[in-house]
Amino acid sequence: MTEHHRQKFTFLNTVFFPIGKGIIFFFEDLGKYFSIVWWMIFNSRNAKEYSRNIFQQMVMIGNNSIPIVLFVSTFVGMVTAVQSSYQLYDWIPRTVVGALVTKSVLLELAPLLTALVLAGKVGATITAELGTMRVTEQIDALEALAFDPISFLITPRVIAGILMFPILIVFGDLVAILGGMFGASIVAGIPNASFIEGMKNSFEIWDAVFGIIKAVFFGYIITSVACYQGFKVHGGSEGVGKATMNTVVITSLAVVVMDFVLASVLL
Amino acid sequence: MIYLKNIWKSFGEKQVHKGLNLEIRPKETLVILGRSGGGKSVLLKMIIGLIKPDSGTVTVDEKEVTTMSFKQLQRLRMKFGFLFQGAALFDSMTVGENIELALRRHSDFKDGDIQERVEYALSLVKLENIEQVMPSSLSGGMKKRVGLARAIALTPKYMLYDEPTTGLDVETADGINLLINELKTMLGVTSIVVTHDIHSAFVVGDRFAIFEDGQFILIGTKDDIRNSTNPEVRKYIESDIQT
Repeated sequence: MTEHHRQKFTFLNTVFFPIGKGIIFFFEDLGKYFSIVWWMIFNSRNAKEYSRNIFQQMVMIGNNSIPIVLFVSTFVGMVTAVQSSYQLYDWIPRTVVGALVTKSVLLELAPLLTALVLAGKVGATITAELGTMRVTEQIDALEALAFDPISFLITPRVIAGILMFPILIVFGDLVAILGGMFGASIVAGIPNASFIEGMKNSFEIWDAVFGIIKAVFFGYIITSVACYQGFKVHGGSEGVGKATMNTVVITSLAVVVMDFVLASVLL
Repeated sequence: MIYLKNIWKSFGEKQVHKGLNLEIRPKETLVILGRSGGGKSVLLKMIIGLIKPDSGTVTVDEKEVTTMSFKQLQRLRMKFGFLFQGAALFDSMTVGENIELALRRHSDFKDGDIQERVEYALSLVKLENIEQVMPSSLSGGMKKRVGLARAIALTPKYMLYDEPTTGLDVETADGINLLINELKTMLGVTSIVVTHDIHSAFVVGDRFAIFEDGQFILIGTKDDIRNSTNPEVRKYIESDIQT
């Protein structure tokens, strides 16, 4: 091999080796994730044995997230109303602001922003919790006690996510619309009656149902990815921190991609 | 009986087991002695199927562990009690819930019986009235005792101890060693103890397997160790192994 060939080979190796390794790692990770999902589905008949865990997780994911969901939704509604009235004030009737806020909130803003907030709150909590259990051998201890850790730890969290996200998003919808009405009233001077008229005229049940369908998918993806990331932690507290960050990044990206896919398919 | 035959295991580039062979006899306490981080704990996890060897066989009660289905592994694990190095108590549960978890899942005991079993298991490890305490409020030694109570709640046939005295002061460590011996006498269990602490090893062990660089360099009794001329073995006798 000549010096020129050697340099060329080293260059190609430097460029392509990490890419190839990354691709293999990605598909390996994806395979492991789906093998856990498959195990979860295959053993879902055991879920009733862990009903207490499901209830605990519903409280953790649902009840404990209500304050932040309400807070975010209120401001999302207010900002949407204020910006709508700012952009459209001189052009269109005032009732349109109510219609615009309702449509935007139900179809997109409440489900998406709630999911992104919960990707941080719920996703990070789940990964940190399971990751800590992994590095302190609590998951090994569960297995040593002849438990199935996937059915015991992951399935209840995913079921709780699928059940509670839609409920949280319904709360988010309601509060965001009320926030929108309040924001339109105090900042843009739009009477509540005009806002409500616009809301009534534009409201379609499918818009709310679409948001709830999205919530089910978001609940699934956030909890399942968070559980998987926590489950595969290694390397002590540093590993827990890294996995928690991965969860927030991956679930946030997955939520926006899924948002687009669902909108394309269902609307 | 437990047999490990020609066990090979590597993690990435690191070869941790190089053709290990070991036999654990009924009712004995076998101590696996070696440096921390060498792969001793991995052996314990292999015995209950938490980790699979790259090659070789693990046999428990004449059944091959490495080829067992998940259900078979669950049945096998019910025969074992496992004390983890850091006790591995479930920190979202109280002490009582930690101990009763396996009883509720794997036994037909009613609530009252479970309560009695929890109290009995705690009394065996010399603890009382701490069922409602959270693990985070316990000292290191108490955590180990609760871990031990959880491990024996289902009256196992085999006990696996992973570094039972690591991180404990001498007095507490002696207490744990005493407990290991008492449990052996009271419950008649076969035990495997993994440790780097030669003092503890000599207090609890009937036989010893010295693990060095992925292999057992000596398997024998206390006298075999004392009489050995192998410099690696002498090192273990002359000084406590530094972690």
